[in-house]
Amino acid sequence: MKTSGTAKWQRGLFIASFTIPTLAFFCVFTIYPVIKALYYSLFDWSGMSDHMDFIGLQNFKDMLHDPIVWQALGNDYFLVAGKIVGIMLLATFFAVALTRFGFRMSGFFRSIYFIPNVISVVVIGVLWNFIYNPQIGFLNAFLSLFTKEPVAITWLGFTSHTIWMLLPPSIWAGIGFYMILLIAAIQNVPDSLYEAAELEGANQWHQFCHITLPLVWEQMKVSIINIMMTTLNGSFVIVWIMTEGGPDNTTQVMGSYLYQMAFRQYHFGFGAAIGVLILVTSLITTVALQRLLHRETIEMS
Amino acid sequence: MGTTLNRKMAAVGLAAAMAVLPLAGCGSNDKDNGAGNASSAAPNASASASAAPSTSADASGEAAPAKLTGDFEIQYFVGGYGDKWWKKVIADFKAANPDLNVIESGGPKINEQNKPRWIGGNPPDFVYIDGAGLNDRQMVEDGQVEDLTEWFKTAKNVDGTLIKDILAQQPQQYDGKIYNIPLVLNSWGIFWDKALFKEKGWTEPTDYDSFIATADTIKAAGVTPFIHTGKYPYYIQDAFLFPAIVSANNDDYSILQDMADSKVDAFKSPAVMDGLNKIVELRDKGFIDKASIQINHTDSQMSFLQHKDAFIPNGLWLPNEMSKDIPSGFDFGFIPSVTQKAGGKVVANTSTASVAIASKAKNKEAAKAFLSFIFSEAQASQWAELSGAPSNIKGDISSSSAPNFVKDAAKFLTDPNTVVIPMITFNADVEKVMWDATDALSIGKITPDEWVKRVTDAAAKVSK
Repeated sequence: MKTSGTAKWQRGLFIASFTIPTLAFFCVFTIYPVIKALYYSLFDWSGMSDHMDFIGLQNFKDMLHDPIVWQALGNDYFLVAGKIVGIMLLATFFAVALTRFGFRMSGFFRSIYFIPNVISVVVIGVLWNFIYNPQIGFLNAFLSLFTKEPVAITWLGFTSHTIWMLLPPSIWAGIGFYMILLIAAIQNVPDSLYEAAELEGANQWHQFCHITLPLVWEQMKVSIINIMMTTLNGSFVIVWIMTEGGPDNTTQVMGSYLYQMAFRQYHFGFGAAIGVLILVTSLITTVALQRLLHRETIEMS
Repeated sequence: MGTTLNRKMAAVGLAAAMAVLPLAGCGSNDKDNGAGNASSAAPNASASASAAPSTSADASGEAAPAKLTGDFEIQYFVGGYGDKWWKKVIADFKAANPDLNVIESGGPKINEQNKPRWIGGNPPDFVYIDGAGLNDRQMVEDGQVEDLTEWFKTAKNVDGTLIKDILAQQPQQYDGKIYNIPLVLNSWGIFWDKALFKEKGWTEPTDYDSFIATADTIKAAGVTPFIHTGKYPYYIQDAFLFPAIVSANNDDYSILQDMADSKVDAFKSPAVMDGLNKIVELRDKGFIDKASIQINHTDSQMSFLQHKDAFIPNGLWLPNEMSKDIPSGFDFGFIPSVTQKAGGKVVANTSTASVAIASKAKNKEAAKAFLSFIFSEAQASQWAELSGAPSNIKGDISSSSAPNFVKDAAKFLTDPNTVVIPMITFNADVEKVMWDATDALSIGKITPDEWVKRVTDAAAKVSK
């Protein structure tokens, strides 16, 4: 009895020695800033001044009446939807192509598709700015090959819906990682299943629908949720590098508007309130997607 | 075996925890310090500070030019103008005041680095307001800079001249009060390449009619007349729209000051509409390069240097900024404004960076002495020499060994027939709405009326 008590105590100590430091770090670097942001969102504060005015929920009320917040929210969800569809379709296609069709160059293509992931988003933004440049850009130069008059489209300067143009770079930058993730998942599927299906006369499409897809669904779900979260929290970088939310706020996302308000227009409290909005929308969307994507887990034995 | 392993692991884990926990503690301590650094750094400073205010309060009775003592800290941002001048002037100031301990906080990131101290109420004594993260209007609204109205009325520089008499550009007034004094004098305007114009036989513009006529000729010759920086719409606003508004307002720049004070009626003035309609005219005649809307300043300037576009609204720093990329034979032509009527006055919209004293400065005596020190002709001509930009002291531009376009500019800026707009900083909210609206106007998304509507709404919200 006594010995088992010690063992239990030791076990508890063992677990605690790993969890407590983690918890401490988590509190200091995650919980504390979140609470701090919540706190600041209740103030009218320029971000520079040594005094702050408590205004309760006024920042949130202002947010409801700020059309740019709604535009930013819409743009964010547009990017989420576009990236999920674009990245998942292409990543799945490439992953299947590089594993199930077993051609010789697959290693080479795997590396090629992964390269954008190694490049910093800042570089990607600058690169695509050059592609979209109306005067010296690749895209107009390419299109001009097929027309009499040189094409001079301002790809990042439409009067509305300019956000569409940020989709290709975002998708292009995201494919590689999720492709690798899915390749790993597909390679975990036992070959015997495919062999059996082959014997039964199932074609590649059937094999994909009935073997690959169900067995990698967990990874796809994780990928989708991850794309959603990184977009809501991180679309700021590419927007800021490429357009700074312009022209006329058509490419504004929540992150860029937060930065704009907090550091360019000196409304730190309002910026913090947008931060809270990002947090809340991320949480809600995560839960919603979890529900939406829920399927019976299929074990491979 | 399981238990021994566990025991070992537990020991290791504990050791790790012991090593890590204090670190975590450190982290949180650091965090508190970060915000409170001000307060923890303050004690030694504030110890002297708490003594200083009382002495300075007594001393401000100005018994005699007492020797400056104690600590005196200067915050200066290092950007396009470099830090050579600051190093030099601080060394000179030190030499003149051997008992004063001058502390330099300078650097390209200094505005960010010192932010916690401004928030914590322990700012440096003297601040040069330039670069990202500092906005003079915001600092005034936050009560962070000292009211210099009274001081400025009678302040003399070290040579004994009244400072206000030798400033080329007067300080901005916030409800009639002065808080910061412009140090640099730069002008916005329209550039072209004299060599190209000569070769093609195009007339250099002197007013709006000749500008439009030349633009017509240029367009007919297959060159786009005008490019601007849509990503940063203040280029077209500062160099084209604002001078246009002042010209239309009978050369009275007070309208811009009212706009900067977010007075709603100012934006509804017919002069504003007149300025906006000039942008519309450029747009509808196809003079504005379509690429403008999405490009940044470097792209627009490259386009201009490559003769894809004939005119560019920009500031006098342009030739310096692009010095590496200027094709040989390129000869900058410059005029502060093209929007005046034939025979009308040229309007020079200035661009500046200013200096101020922190309202919570501990050594205001030294800070004021430093102001008197730097607004002297000796230091001003050094500024022109070491930073490559004209200083805000009258008359030093032409004497410097400046390139042609700067002398052109100097000619304009010192000409009694030129309207020189004093320093103006808009409210950041109104300014952003104005930028967005100007962009939208330049691509035909909105009409001038909608521009006015948007901006007056923003101004009304701000001045509430």
